[in-house]
Amino acid sequence: MTPSTSKRPKQAAGQTPDPIEIQSAALIFKTTRDDHRIAWLAALAISIHILESALPSPIPGIKPGLANVISITVLMLYGWSAASWVTLLRVLVGSIIIGTFLTPTFMLSLSGAVASLIVLWIAYHLPGKGFGAIGYSLLASMAHMAGQFFIAYLIFIPHPGLFRLLPPMMTMAVIFGIVNGIIVNTLIKRLNDT
Amino acid sequence: MITRADIFAIAFAILLLPSLYINLWGEAAAGDSAAILIGGEEYLRVSLTEDQTITIPGKLGDSIIEIHNNSIRFVSSPCRGKQCVHSGWLKEGGEFAACLPNRISVAVSRADMRYDTINF
Repeated sequence: MTPSTSKRPKQAAGQTPDPIEIQSAALIFKTTRDDHRIAWLAALAISIHILESALPSPIPGIKPGLANVISITVLMLYGWSAASWVTLLRVLVGSIIIGTFLTPTFMLSLSGAVASLIVLWIAYHLPGKGFGAIGYSLLASMAHMAGQFFIAYLIFIPHPGLFRLLPPMMTMAVIFGIVNGIIVNTLIKRLNDT
Repeated sequence: MITRADIFAIAFAILLLPSLYINLWGEAAAGDSAAILIGGEEYLRVSLTEDQTITIPGKLGDSIIEIHNNSIRFVSSPCRGKQCVHSGWLKEGGEFAACLPNRISVAVSRADMRYDTINF
């Protein structure tokens, strides 16, 4: 969990604070390469998130979750903590721009993101050769759906009938999870070629 | 580009989906059940597929309810009119019998409800 945010002054990064740096810290933020990378990738994810929210969906609640392509790519290239930064920043800033911040939509989005990050953490730290993009994407997508249903049942619709929506939604989650994983594979291959 | 773990993940998903459909869309969830209510509050939900006889404690005393052949009925109730017993077997979704003196009622619910509501 290395990356420190650009919002954080340097002494918070765990080093012994230098008195001169503290004086200037109020004005000058030292940013690392990681910070810039996360900011760029988060910006990309936010753009995709907003674009996708503008697309009409044939069935309410089903969307491809293309922004998660960025999350999984970041996970593959820079590790879990960078991916969680990008994902959480995407959910937060995306909701503020769309105007759903702290609404049920945001709560569901956040619970899905947190659930998928938890599952990705476990999958990332499993021993052995580990998962590829498709595995990560699929697990994240399914965890996202399960987390959303759990929170929706807990907070918004505490009725057992809610779970009759789960099978078709989970089917879509599996399909889009695999498709997104294939996109991630292509993306990473292109990035390596250039 | 596909690792062995990926294959496991896909296999897990493919095995999970049918079980989700069976569990959440199957017979049990289709609602072939009856709700037994005391004073309007759901006291017990029973499946109509297994035959059994249940004793429900009401305000006046015990009412005996029988489930047989996908139907449910009041066998006896400690009331005067025995309206509930005379309602006979309830089978269709939406059918309803009540023993008002004993505050016990039975409502059948199925996936395809024949009646949305019944007024007397």
